[in-house]
Amino acid sequence: MDKKNADSQVIVVTSGKGGVGKTTAVANLSTGLARQNYKVAVMDLDIGLKKLDLILGLENRVIYDIIQVAEGECTLKQALVKDKRFPGLYMLPAAQTRNKEDITGDQVKQICDELREDFDYIFIDCPAGIEQGFKNAIFAADKAIVVTNPEVSAVRDADRITGILESQQFKDISLLINRIRPDMVKSGNMLSIDDLLEHLCIKLLGVIPEDKNVVVSTNKGEPIVLNDNTPAAVAFNNVVRRLLGEDVPIMNLEESFWQRLKNHLFGN
Amino acid sequence: MLDLLKKLFAGDKNGSRQAANDRLRVVLTHDRLGTSPELMETLKEEIIAVIARHVDIDGRPEVRIIGEGRQSAVDISIPLKGR
Repeated sequence: MDKKNADSQVIVVTSGKGGVGKTTAVANLSTGLARQNYKVAVMDLDIGLKKLDLILGLENRVIYDIIQVAEGECTLKQALVKDKRFPGLYMLPAAQTRNKEDITGDQVKQICDELREDFDYIFIDCPAGIEQGFKNAIFAADKAIVVTNPEVSAVRDADRITGILESQQFKDISLLINRIRPDMVKSGNMLSIDDLLEHLCIKLLGVIPEDKNVVVSTNKGEPIVLNDNTPAAVAFNNVVRRLLGEDVPIMNLEESFWQRLKNHLFGN
Repeated sequence: MLDLLKKLFAGDKNGSRQAANDRLRVVLTHDRLGTSPELMETLKEEIIAVIARHVDIDGRPEVRIIGEGRQSAVDISIPLKGR
């Protein structure tokens, strides 16, 4: 299958703080784009602590990893794991028994350049932190998505990351707010979307509500974006549409009690 | 009963969101500049001292950091004594 775009995009998904939802975002955005028949490659740069394979449900199909590609033990094509659900989705796994110093930014860039020949979108799942793993992850990227939670330490880390990205001449930095709880925002106990935008001052890509179904989807290795009936899936799909250039308003996250009850009883 | 009613209608003001925002504003400013609150105090005292050497100050001077997007600026307000 030929790629749709002449210009490929390498997008790094980063956050600073661990556990805010980078890997989940990479898995869902890439799946969402692949579902629209784009050719998408995802690269797990969390070397030593790999997770992308697990979130995508591809953990049993991993044979080679990115370090082996970098060291010439195998070709990139041999290492790429093809997702059986979507013909255009491929994953380049991290190595589990190596660490982040075992690959350089230049090697990552070289791999990205090779991926650009065949893929429309290349997502880099960035590890937490600001050390070598992070530096490798941002080196080859055209744009950055900063993932944060509406929580003070996540915001502080997102701010630091944004500062570093700006100092590295990134012009396209956008914010993905993950795990927001509209009920807690309303009761005055959680930072709101506007609060986060006020503090971080970068453009908003999307807002993903807290959704118990994400845990279920992770348990099964099926990205939530494939389950169209749940708020997080709708939100991820909206982000996919925005990445494709569509102007999609931020969804109204406050559902009335009766609407939720109705959905629960009768489905969507 | 009155307390319960107060809680029901209190809205945002008693929630922790305000505290989170206030703390973040301070922390982010200092993180971005690499400063500490102690440095701010020192800066404030020295700036006021320098200005006081040249003009008479009338009232309470204010020195603070204000945020403009991701940039910061030192905002100084020093009332001067007229003739």
